[in-house]
Amino acid sequence: MREIAFCFVILLAGYVDADCSPAKDPSKIAIAGGSITELVYVLNRDSQIIAVDTTSNYPEQTSSLPSIGYVRNLSAEGILSLKPTLILGEHDMGPPQVMKQIEKVQVEVKKIEERQSAVGIIEKFECIAKILNVPASETEYLKENLLTYVTKLEEIRRVGTARPRVALILSFIDGSPILAGNTTSGDGVLKMIGATNVFSDIEGWKPATRESLLSRNPDYLVITERGLKAQGGMAGIEKNPALRLTSAVKDGNVYALDGMALLGFGPRTLETAIVLSEKLK
Amino acid sequence: MREKTLEAPRSLSLEFAGKSRRENLVLVMLAFVLFFVGALALSSGAVPLSIGALIDGSAKGLEITIFSEIRAPRVILSGLVGASLAAAGAVLQGLFRNPLADPGLIGVSSGAALGAVSMIVFGSALDLPDWIAIYSMPLAAIIGAMGVTFFLYTFSNYYGHFSVVTVLLVGIAINALASVGIGAFQYLSDDAQLRSLVFWMMGSFGRADWITVMPAASIMLVSILVLVRQSTQLDRLQLGEAEAFHLGINVKKLKRLVILVSAGAVGAGVALSGIIGFVGLVVPHLVRLLFGVSHRILIPGSALLGACLMISADLVSRIVIIPSELPVGLVTSALGAPFFLWLIARARV
Repeated sequence: MREIAFCFVILLAGYVDADCSPAKDPSKIAIAGGSITELVYVLNRDSQIIAVDTTSNYPEQTSSLPSIGYVRNLSAEGILSLKPTLILGEHDMGPPQVMKQIEKVQVEVKKIEERQSAVGIIEKFECIAKILNVPASETEYLKENLLTYVTKLEEIRRVGTARPRVALILSFIDGSPILAGNTTSGDGVLKMIGATNVFSDIEGWKPATRESLLSRNPDYLVITERGLKAQGGMAGIEKNPALRLTSAVKDGNVYALDGMALLGFGPRTLETAIVLSEKLK
Repeated sequence: MREKTLEAPRSLSLEFAGKSRRENLVLVMLAFVLFFVGALALSSGAVPLSIGALIDGSAKGLEITIFSEIRAPRVILSGLVGASLAAAGAVLQGLFRNPLADPGLIGVSSGAALGAVSMIVFGSALDLPDWIAIYSMPLAAIIGAMGVTFFLYTFSNYYGHFSVVTVLLVGIAINALASVGIGAFQYLSDDAQLRSLVFWMMGSFGRADWITVMPAASIMLVSILVLVRQSTQLDRLQLGEAEAFHLGINVKKLKRLVILVSAGAVGAGVALSGIIGFVGLVVPHLVRLLFGVSHRILIPGSALLGACLMISADLVSRIVIIPSELPVGLVTSALGAPFFLWLIARARV
């Protein structure tokens, strides 16, 4: 009896983990999560999107859609007023109390799992395609397309023997850089291209001290475009006390990329990761 | 009125004898305003609803659910939090005889924040059963608020004979310590927790839910009533602690009661809504400028006006950028501050 119950739990857990079953009615979708929005555009189902959150800023056209706020700070009544038939969200959409309020009104809500790897992006793509009932005839070609990037990334990882030592900077607080530690999307991207994250021993996005940056001395710095702009461009980086003495800045190996494209773990992350790996050669 | 109080002790006691007609009128008027603000808030929002349809039964299932599960708990919570903050502010200003006192000062808000933040960061690691997990954050916030207030009380009682100055200074120190704790939790939190934490600190009534609102509402309601009952004693305290003592007031007991009850009211509210500034400090001053300084009108008046202001602020935050929402703390300050300035200019205080 206990074994049966156990199996049931496993089955249930498996089911919940991969809830990619087709939605009852995907005709009017509200999306909370930039990578999901991008994937729905890739699947050519953008005409079904009725609203997006503030992290969905790509492609351009999304800016004309009503905004339901930030993915982790949604408003129940606001979303429901748009009468969506389906709410698609990133694994961290919330707050949980608001999600519970929405459930009470019996609008279908699907949370898409996130694994921060190249294969994870393909899984996300397949999951959304299933939920939106996109026929295989349409997805096959698109998937092929994405898979070529994945293969390319695998090759980059295999061929690259000299693993570049990189620090990835999200933004700055009072001039000190916020760095990608372990379990962050930034760390995921660096793993994807076989680079070494010099801050992989810290957990999450953390501010780094000048000394820790000097002692790890990364050969490359990767910065989000927004972060670079906030510091006053490359000139600002060269003056930044925490960064200017690193090998990366001395040798001019500082690269800026669009934050959402690099770290969003949507389809663009695959392309951007390849672009990044070229730069780190 | 003023001449009467100056006459003789006999008329002084007359002043305390009960509410004047004018005071009753003001409170009834405020109650009416609260009723209309509440009705307006219940009937407006992102989803168009008609109260009439809800009453005569012609409303659809979706509308009923939105009204009863989303909007109603939200309006009730915002009203009670506004009332608690304002009543606690009024009482604490009276107790400390300091116009700048507010619930934040005695550490209630930061204590509650510390409790809630610890739960955001460590809650998932505790692996609590579901039925407790719903209450874990509000409970932690209340424990934080009570703990900090209790510490403030015992510390200043033991080392400083619980004088007003000690309480204020210890309050400042405790607030600083609590922000150290909050900062530490922020550092320990992962990306997702950090973002929850930031939004919790901003304050919102969007998370209102009957199962958490009901217990908090009971605590707030009882606390407000207890605070209102202290008005005569607080009026006498304005004459000075020694004078109040000679008028037969147990000053120490009054202080203890008022501080702990205020902490309960504010803690229960902050636990669900997050931190919302301005209301506790400013609403009592609004009531003083508009209706007078007697605590018999100040405390209930602040509670009613605080509820009105908070419900309207939440209404504005809900409808101004549909389908998204503004942080409610932003709205309370944006609505209240200019009005407050106008009142100061007019009254030339």
